[in-house]
Amino acid sequence: MRKILWTALILAAGATSAGAQDRRGLVWDDRPTIVFGKDVTLGIRGKLQLDWRQFDPQIDEDTFDFRAARVGLKGDLTKHFDYEIERAVEQEGRFGEWKDVYLNWSTFDVLRVKAGRFKLPFGLEQNTGVTDLDFAYRSLASSTIAPGRDRGVMLYGELGRLDYELGVFDDDGDNGELKEPQFVEEGEDLKGVGPSFAARLTGDLFRALPVPDKLKSANFGIAYTNASVPEGLNSLRGQSVWGTEDFFEPVYVNGRRQRFGAQFDWTPGPTGLKAEWMQSREQRLGQSNRNEDLSDFVGTGWYVSGTWFVTGEDKDDNVNPRNPIFQGGIGAIELGARYDELEFSSATKTGTAFTNPRADPLLANTDRVWTFGVNWMLNRWVRVITNAIHEEFADASRSPDPGISSFWSGLLRLQVAF
Amino acid sequence: MRLLRRCALAVAVAVCAAVPAAAQTSDEFFNPDVIQRVELWMNAADWSKLKAAFQENTYYPADVVWNGQTVRNVGIRSRGLGSRSGTKPGLRVDFDRYSSSQTFLGLKSFVLDNLTQDLSGVKETVAMRFFARMGIPAPRETHTRLYVNGAYAGLYALVESVDKTMMGRVFGSIGDDVQNDGYLFEYNYVIGSPWRFGYEGANLDAYKQRFDIKTNESKSDSTIWGPIEELVRLVNTTASASFEQTVGAAIDLAAFVRYLAVQNFVAQNDGFNGYDGMNNFYFYRLENSATHVFIAWDEDNAFLSPDFNITTRLDDNILTRNTMQLPAFNSHYFSVMQEAATSASDWLQGETQRQLLMIADAMQADTVKPYTNAEHATARDTMLAFGPARVTFVRCEVAKTVGTTRPAGCQ
Repeated sequence: MRKILWTALILAAGATSAGAQDRRGLVWDDRPTIVFGKDVTLGIRGKLQLDWRQFDPQIDEDTFDFRAARVGLKGDLTKHFDYEIERAVEQEGRFGEWKDVYLNWSTFDVLRVKAGRFKLPFGLEQNTGVTDLDFAYRSLASSTIAPGRDRGVMLYGELGRLDYELGVFDDDGDNGELKEPQFVEEGEDLKGVGPSFAARLTGDLFRALPVPDKLKSANFGIAYTNASVPEGLNSLRGQSVWGTEDFFEPVYVNGRRQRFGAQFDWTPGPTGLKAEWMQSREQRLGQSNRNEDLSDFVGTGWYVSGTWFVTGEDKDDNVNPRNPIFQGGIGAIELGARYDELEFSSATKTGTAFTNPRADPLLANTDRVWTFGVNWMLNRWVRVITNAIHEEFADASRSPDPGISSFWSGLLRLQVAF
Repeated sequence: MRLLRRCALAVAVAVCAAVPAAAQTSDEFFNPDVIQRVELWMNAADWSKLKAAFQENTYYPADVVWNGQTVRNVGIRSRGLGSRSGTKPGLRVDFDRYSSSQTFLGLKSFVLDNLTQDLSGVKETVAMRFFARMGIPAPRETHTRLYVNGAYAGLYALVESVDKTMMGRVFGSIGDDVQNDGYLFEYNYVIGSPWRFGYEGANLDAYKQRFDIKTNESKSDSTIWGPIEELVRLVNTTASASFEQTVGAAIDLAAFVRYLAVQNFVAQNDGFNGYDGMNNFYFYRLENSATHVFIAWDEDNAFLSPDFNITTRLDDNILTRNTMQLPAFNSHYFSVMQEAATSASDWLQGETQRQLLMIADAMQADTVKPYTNAEHATARDTMLAFGPARVTFVRCEVAKTVGTTRPAGCQ
């Protein structure tokens, strides 16, 4: 693990950008890249995140967390195709789960096709790479309701000022997969979640309107997914920020799982404003104690966040410090704050509520989180991220330390990505 | 005047309408003179899962119906040790599993004993009534026909949970203070590690493993198990001369000896002085006190045989042995045996007969029990014969042991 860290740091610190155009062989184009010819490249990618955490009050979590290490290849196959292959590396050095593995056909702007394993088009923050996030952790809604990666095929492209994405996937994303062992009676088949269908529409709606120029970059989007979920304790579940404790245990579901989402992203100059709202609705057909239908299991989450580059860099997808630390500067410094919350309950709200997984109404629980952060980007590849996180649970009996409703935690992350 | 009469009538009607139907109580629920009817309504998949995974303690939600009253969203799980069954599961029913404030008739939970190890169907219930009759804390019990999703699921014993509610019932109140805030432990029989009250060192883990805390769980380990470790240490190290004074401060020795004697009288081979170490009891440290007492539990292996030795394993267990070495408690033991024989002589056979008659139809109709009706009939006859034979045997053996005149009929 230390070798990986030092290798990455040395590569990143000593690197200077060099154009890959008109060159063949091994070149440095923000990352090591093998150029085979015009539009045929193989870029070598690496990501490493190491966290040190503190909790108040203490919960059963280690101070040090080997958060993520990934290696991958990304490049072009002619001007019509590009690809990416990325895989996690465990702390012990073994390969872990596959991340993105896809082939992308992009000859036409109006219709492109992506096939393989990649993220479903739902959730602005969920579809932001793990090393490009504004804060150390995604909001609860983004990491719980948004589905994440799955195997599938997606059509996407541009229709005027609108971007569309339309895909069909094998299951329902990593965040929507079945986490409990299923019970199957003799003679029955094991059923999986899915297939799922996902669609998203995004666009810079203000571009066509007579509004100040700064507003024209505001991007809006709506998204929807639909999948079938087999009978069982297969619902989404509410987990705390640290992902180790449930503040809402899974309930029995059977039928359709739908997600509805809306997103907003605006990056005027050094400032970034983002907001998302999303809701999951899972059917509970025949799931009562008397085998009758129950009202939908509903998860609702949203966040709003703001960031500001103190050092003046533009807030866009590829932030590059104006004065990198090894070239006479101090790097880029960004401040940010985010409020997010996630609630699980039933569609029915009237009557005595219980926590039992077949209850209707269900006793709701909400996790409300404030995150304050400072990101220090030493150069294009190295970041130091600090976050202070305040988490508060509506039902203190269902918190990481039952009886205590609010928690503070702090995080220091060293991140290297190329 | 007519107006006045009308007004009076209206008031009377209103008052009558406002008076609720007679409130039912937990005494009615556990009424030993009545075979109850308890209905469980649970998702068919859950009932299948519970039976398939009967070795697990997974809770499932259900509705309970008794005597026209429905309690929604209770928690149910499989229970038992050797009695666990996937065909006729023993069940624990928790009213407060999914809502901490939910109770029913003041109860937080109860147990449905599947009677799979008791071919007579009445050993547990007769034994518990006898313990209570002899003044030993014991759960209230009766029988019930259990229906799951409308289908008859067999004959069960309806057993009061040993919990704070029961401690309040048994130990009453001092002024307004219900005496149920003590420390209640369920003895945990550790398979492969029989224990006979030997000292296991100062580390509390050994005692934590054997004594499952059921109240005051949030207190520190030293507060909960420290006095247990101290008690075991004192039992193992205190000389006879000071045993009563020293150990007697931590355990009600007279009550302990009474408990042992009655458990022996009912020929329980798997109790405190069990064949494989201690088993099947609760232990309660009284509220605001250092004194512990024993609570009877799980006596369905009682009534082994009328000639069950009246001093069975009194030398095996260190607490039992050291207590019985004191002449006063030794004498007390045989005195209680004699008292038990007297109490049983005009009661035990009659109560056994009454309970067997009460459950006869429900037992015959129970097609999921792991024994045949013919086997039940044999066990029934054996059980009926136990009472008179045991009374005679105990009286003879006590007389022989203490050196008094042996009654007629002794061999």
